[in-house]
Amino acid sequence: MTAAAAVAPRGIARFRPRTRRRELILLAIVTITLGVGGLSLGMQRTGRPTVEGGTLLAIYVLALFAVHVAQSVAGRRTDQALLPTVGMLGGIGLLLMIRLPQDLVTQRFGGIELGLAQLQLAWLCLGLAIIGTLGIVVRSDAWLRLYKYTWAAIGVALLLLVFALGVDENGSRLTLVVGPFSGQPSELLKVVLVIFLAGYLAEYRPLLATERTSIGPLHVPPLPYLLPMLAMVGVSTGIVIIQKDLGAALLFYVIFLVLLYLATGRASWVALGLALGTIASICLYFLFPTVQERVAIWLDPFADPLGSGFQIVQALHAFARGGLFGVGLGAGLPEIAGRLPIPAVHTDFPLAALGEELGLAGVLAILALFLVVVARGLRIAAAAADTFRALLAAGLAIVVGAQAFVIAAGDLKLIPLTGITLPFISYGGSSLLVNSVVVGLLLALSDRGIEPPPPPRTRGAIMRPLRRSRG
Amino acid sequence: MTGGPPRADRGLGKSVGRTMLAAVVAVVILAAGATWWQVVDAPSLTGSPDDAANVAAARSVVRGTIRDRAGRVLASTTRDANGEPYRVYASTATTGVIGYASRRYGSAGIERTFDAELTGRRDPDPVQAILDHLDPSRRRTGDDLRTSLSLPLQRLAVSLLGNDRGAVVMLDPRTGEVLVDASTPTYDANTIADPAGDPAYFAKLRTDPTSPLLPRPTLGLYVPGSIFKIVTAIAGLGSEAITPQTTYSQQPPAEKNGLLVDGYRVKDGHHDFTQPKPLALSEATEVSCNIFYALTGLATGGAELVRWAASVGFGGPIPYDLPTETSQVTNGTGSTPGGFTDRVELANAAYGQAEVLATPLQMALVAAAVANGGTIMRPRVVTAVVSPDGNVAERPAEVWLKPFGPDVASPIRDAMTRAVEGRYGRLFTSGAKVPGVLTAGKSGTAEIGGSGEPHSWFIGFAPADHPTIAIAVLVENGGSGASRASPIAGKLMSAYFAQAAQ
Repeated sequence: MTAAAAVAPRGIARFRPRTRRRELILLAIVTITLGVGGLSLGMQRTGRPTVEGGTLLAIYVLALFAVHVAQSVAGRRTDQALLPTVGMLGGIGLLLMIRLPQDLVTQRFGGIELGLAQLQLAWLCLGLAIIGTLGIVVRSDAWLRLYKYTWAAIGVALLLLVFALGVDENGSRLTLVVGPFSGQPSELLKVVLVIFLAGYLAEYRPLLATERTSIGPLHVPPLPYLLPMLAMVGVSTGIVIIQKDLGAALLFYVIFLVLLYLATGRASWVALGLALGTIASICLYFLFPTVQERVAIWLDPFADPLGSGFQIVQALHAFARGGLFGVGLGAGLPEIAGRLPIPAVHTDFPLAALGEELGLAGVLAILALFLVVVARGLRIAAAAADTFRALLAAGLAIVVGAQAFVIAAGDLKLIPLTGITLPFISYGGSSLLVNSVVVGLLLALSDRGIEPPPPPRTRGAIMRPLRRSRG
Repeated sequence: MTGGPPRADRGLGKSVGRTMLAAVVAVVILAAGATWWQVVDAPSLTGSPDDAANVAAARSVVRGTIRDRAGRVLASTTRDANGEPYRVYASTATTGVIGYASRRYGSAGIERTFDAELTGRRDPDPVQAILDHLDPSRRRTGDDLRTSLSLPLQRLAVSLLGNDRGAVVMLDPRTGEVLVDASTPTYDANTIADPAGDPAYFAKLRTDPTSPLLPRPTLGLYVPGSIFKIVTAIAGLGSEAITPQTTYSQQPPAEKNGLLVDGYRVKDGHHDFTQPKPLALSEATEVSCNIFYALTGLATGGAELVRWAASVGFGGPIPYDLPTETSQVTNGTGSTPGGFTDRVELANAAYGQAEVLATPLQMALVAAAVANGGTIMRPRVVTAVVSPDGNVAERPAEVWLKPFGPDVASPIRDAMTRAVEGRYGRLFTSGAKVPGVLTAGKSGTAEIGGSGEPHSWFIGFAPADHPTIAIAVLVENGGSGASRASPIAGKLMSAYFAQAAQ
């Protein structure tokens, strides 16, 4: 193992194209699947063999292949399963948006009015552009590694900005409006939080692993070293809680616990964290009437099936109507008096709509796709060159996985419902773009040719170098 | 990967592996949840009248007609200006049992329980049922329902209850066929079902303090008072704690000063009729002696009282055609046998006070059990489902419970006969007697605490020697059993026999 090989100048050689055969095969499968989906939808809608939303699907597939070609030309040796997997998820989401009434969301850009599926396609293409760009351009993680406090500050500043200038929607202040665009910065904070935590935990990991604070017979984590991190987690979670974005708060906390576990390998700390989280949840329950309401609906939505429990009850009925294999794309969701039975189906309940039309088989397939994203992310983490990169990759994978779990579990009435999106499938620009950033960074980190990490810095007497100095 | 960048530091690989394991577990949990809703619990959800697919289909389906025992139409379907069908009801007297089916407000009552049949969603032929499920447009016109209800008796029951809140259940103890299932105040189901009806009406009903939407016979829980003594008698005789001849020497003196149970005095309200001689079952029932029944309850014991009450239906739902509330002898929070707090609660429960709560249907079934020699038939309103092509699926009479035999039933039947026909009994249950027919029964005046008037109760059956009809009448805050419930029961049973004679 010599440093010479690792820092060898690459120069022009980095633009040597490489074939990405596995990615190509997987993308072909995605294309065929989406084509069959569009055909099935067209048959259901018109009774003739047509591809419903054919143009939109074609543009989407072309965008997928464009990212593939760009990566091949750039010659990066990045992961070949991630793009097809999230491409499939995005495609399923696009099919659903094509299938839903187009006037569910409309937006005017100049003289053109875009409907639900067209808008979703625009966001998907932007997302793919981000994935491709990050996957190709990012050749070093130094900009993430070195400025963790700057990132943390940016994240908190964004939240405060929403707090001050945000717009109230559905009783929560989550949305920032700039001109014709609106976004939810708490989505971006997830990524910032992962970058900060990865940087912090990587730096202090040796200390956290060895140092202890004893209170009587109780060994607790070394508090002085934990405080800055706890402050960051506390501030971000606290702000989103005040904004009543409980899904985001839950997500932040899960990300924190998983990264803490990955960095320290201590299950007992995770147990402690879960206990504290439970206590905090109970406090929240008594502090916020909205939480009590959510929990009551979760415990027995059938108590008021036409009122507060309407949404989840209708969703459960939709899952039930789907059965094992579903009623077929386009055949579900009978409109009653021109209304969809599940309110906010395109953002909060796409899984229920897909569960009805694609059945348990479809739901399991979607869950499996999310598991693949997490597995690839963790694989990248396991193969990473140092702790920061490993924690960053794992954390990014958990961002997608945990978010999918929280909303899917809410849809299935396993936990109280929180209004967050199903990554890559739900309608919504912020969510799609941020999750694309996550996948783009994962691609960059997966590259075997990414710039090697700097040698660990020596930090006084406590922090000894972990490796022999390399020369 | 020799020459490549150094691997991650120690320990991380194992943590990553465990994190992956956690992710797999998370997916398994989600898959289990999805399997529950999509496979295991799916039939009950998709079969529900609230399911969006069924609501959508029901808009175009012509619901079947509901008829009474003589073929009189109780509920039928007509079409609005757009040609969409909606429901029409013949009488407000049947709303408590028939309920309503509305596009806007869903359904209740028999309309809800038999929604699948009435909309033709439940096909008796399994092959047809699968085809129907795959293609909802195949659905036939709904099936008709034939019920055992008697519209004239139902109307009479509602008019006798008048402006009071109350309930009447009348059934044939031999078959379980329910002739009257009446609840007051009634409401107008036509306004709810009519698409052009006043939209404020339903909201007003929901918030009405007299709860008109509550089907009192099945979902109303009331303190039963003295009519519960029949259950105590069943428990005492059934467990052989007493015989029809059992007397208690401490009973006559206790009439004056009350019965001392663990330092608490159980008092009686009507000791004027009792003599120095101790009473046995028959006389004690005639004068409704609380002391005798308190002592019988204590002799029987809490565990046996609860067990025998359960044998006639207490403590669980009744397999009726409508959802039922669960009747109870005690809250079950106490530590003494049966769940009573102490012997005082047991003594008071034995004559129907303390924590005893019962539905009018449950008390009608107690009367029916005695009337039918200890066998309770499953109560039902719908006797047959008739398909549009004329196929009749009968719902035959079936035995629900068989808690005791004639050895227990006969002495209680005699005691209840004496409670209506006897010299003192007449003073309590004056109005319940059917002229020319030997009548058995028991009135109840249920103290409800506070300053409210007691609930007025009567349960009974006739003819006492070979009963064909059993009844329970409840009038909320109606005063004594003699003043309000007994005369209603008498008039209804008289009307029943007058009809039968024709």
